[in-house]
Amino acid sequence: MRTRSRLAGRGSGDRLPIIAAASALVVVTACSGGSGAGSGAGSSSHGTVIVWHGYTDVEATTFTQLGREWNQAHPEQKVNVTFAGGNDDALKKTLASFVSGKSPGVAYEFGSSITTLAARNQTQDLSSLVKNTPSFNWNDFFPATRQAATAPDGKIYGIPALVDNLSLVYNKRLFDAAGVSYPTPTWTWTDFQNAARTLTNPAKHQFGWAYVNDGSEDTVWRFIALLWQAGGDLLTPDNKKAAFDSPAGVAAMRLLHDMSVTDHSVYLDTGDGQYQNLFSSGKIAMLWTGPWDLSGIDKKISYGTEFLPGKITHATIAGPDNYMMFNKDDRATAWAFLQWLDSPEVHLRFATATGDLPLRQSETRLPGYREFLKRYPGDKVFVDNLAKNVTKSRPNIPAYPKISQAIGLAVQSVLLGKAQPEAALKQAREQVDQILAGA
Amino acid sequence: MTTAGAAAARDAAASEAGGASAFLTGHRRSGPGGGRRGRNRLRRADHAAGWAFVSPAVFLIALFGLVPVVWSLVLSLQQTDLTSPGTWSGGANYRRMVHDPVFWQAARQTLYYSVLFVPITMALALPIAVLLNQKVRGMLFYRMAVFVPLVTSTVATGVIFSWLYNPQFGVINAALSKVGLPQQGFFQSSSEALPSVVGMTVWGWLGFAVIIYLSALQHVPRELMEAAALDGCGRVRAFWRIELPLLAPASTFLLVWLTINALQLFDEVYVTTKGGPLHASTVLVYYLYQQAFVDFDGGYAAAIGAVLFVVILIVTVVQLWLSRRSSPYEVN
Repeated sequence: MRTRSRLAGRGSGDRLPIIAAASALVVVTACSGGSGAGSGAGSSSHGTVIVWHGYTDVEATTFTQLGREWNQAHPEQKVNVTFAGGNDDALKKTLASFVSGKSPGVAYEFGSSITTLAARNQTQDLSSLVKNTPSFNWNDFFPATRQAATAPDGKIYGIPALVDNLSLVYNKRLFDAAGVSYPTPTWTWTDFQNAARTLTNPAKHQFGWAYVNDGSEDTVWRFIALLWQAGGDLLTPDNKKAAFDSPAGVAAMRLLHDMSVTDHSVYLDTGDGQYQNLFSSGKIAMLWTGPWDLSGIDKKISYGTEFLPGKITHATIAGPDNYMMFNKDDRATAWAFLQWLDSPEVHLRFATATGDLPLRQSETRLPGYREFLKRYPGDKVFVDNLAKNVTKSRPNIPAYPKISQAIGLAVQSVLLGKAQPEAALKQAREQVDQILAGA
Repeated sequence: MTTAGAAAARDAAASEAGGASAFLTGHRRSGPGGGRRGRNRLRRADHAAGWAFVSPAVFLIALFGLVPVVWSLVLSLQQTDLTSPGTWSGGANYRRMVHDPVFWQAARQTLYYSVLFVPITMALALPIAVLLNQKVRGMLFYRMAVFVPLVTSTVATGVIFSWLYNPQFGVINAALSKVGLPQQGFFQSSSEALPSVVGMTVWGWLGFAVIIYLSALQHVPRELMEAAALDGCGRVRAFWRIELPLLAPASTFLLVWLTINALQLFDEVYVTTKGGPLHASTVLVYYLYQQAFVDFDGGYAAAIGAVLFVVILIVTVVQLWLSRRSSPYEVN
């Protein structure tokens, strides 16, 4: 209990939980604030920019290696690449660093954190840097990454760090065994639903599809892809009202309802990620997932990747992350480093080492791209998706996390058969309108 | 609960059968009488030295215990994201709580969880402790087996139970189908998620309750049992008439301790159901966590924490008062 509880605050029974820990942090950091400002400035007086990242495994070693390479070539503009704990906690740590006055020069941040961070003085507006550096070739980045780096006011606060998207990953052997032909780029929802039904076999505990049903963003973004495929959208263009309670929204919810409640062809994952193991054991025929899951699939499983099925479009959704800058004094060095890091040649090397997708369209035209595809054949569909099927992005507004929770509950209640699609959408719409009115 | 906490509680309980409870209830056994004047002078010097010895601990507890508690009370009167200066909002957070259906759902579910968790744990612990109090070859192994779940990390427990409870692939449903019983949804079902958490936490906490009871059983004076046997009292009757009443302080301690922990349930929910599905296992501290560190609504989270603090305080005082009234062995 016991390791986690110290962090989480389930203490020895006599203290106010989490808040206590949080305030203790505030107290301690506030106490050290005076000296913190000094050493914060100190880090830049050494001329070294602190770069926080949350990469692990091969991503971490490659990223560290790139930092070393940069330092050797630029002894006057050194960076200090530092692992700052998992990316899941990047936002919390960055916000805490503002309190202590020791902000990193550069940090890796989830795309969803941009509006929270953009409201802070420490966060650097990069618009002028990007626009006044033609060689950076901003429009070369895939549209989804540019949208995710830009706040609703049009200012650029991030430099693309990573992009992925959802594609259909399927187990070829299960398709062969059931006599179902493999998915095609023009598969419809009906094709998909029928295939999932045929691939479901209760006697063997085998499911056609899996859906992460914990009500988190993991639940929500797959629904958003469905919504876009049916021609709908989440919010009105001015981000003032909900727009998902529409014929498209009903169609998307109806598909989930029919597959989960009527056909029982969907394995509902509680959020513990067991769907990955089950796919590897041949218990699940199809996943909607991103490139990060490919490396975890058992080597014995022969799998294919394909665009998501479609209704009006084959839209998919991307989850881009950014590098963001937090120190005015560091700007020049940090900007030079990030330009180099995101240059087509350097980033393609990073992608080839890690299996991350290219960020720029020009990366796919470099000779090295062939080597990338040879190493990661499954990634081709994901890269093509970036150019073709990622046309929209989630709204970059501060209220988004709360909107996501409301939609997550709606999707969950439909998948569990606790609510009809229309009723769930109506309730979520009312909640979202209320959230947007209050914001 | 932390292992350090468990150790402390164990020590407290082991010090004497009534030791733990005396410590909690504030009862003290008066020592043998001595020269009153001499004692007074001695006491003053003792006091100074005593305070000197405990002052580092007092300072640390004040800094890391009291200051955050007071701070969180202050935060509960603000709108704050915990990292930028907040704005004063008076009782707005508390007013919001009154009209927040999810808060009330979480409160009901916390109560529901506690009402199940505490009695089940205690009811199972006592017979197991009695069994473990026998003289049998290899007893150390059995005792360790009972205690192991307590020192297993919650994360590991959560992963294991997620598999055991898995509706399609879990061992429990497989066993149920073997004997022809209906399949259950466990963590995936909104009606079964919280009872499933109860099952998992009882498993995790049983060892702790057993250890407390076991140490109390071992401190039952042997003379009493011998005297009873000489008077022709059977083993079963001796248990009901002698051992069980003498276990009252240990029961009080467990009741208070387990209730406090039940009301603060967090880790097990965090690593398994994440409060779902559809808020079905959202308990107060998990809801507080969501408000503070997912929605960054620190003021509201602090207000929930403050309410929980008061509730725990009241529940604990009432429990101690009731058990003090009902325990015949504690009154001097």
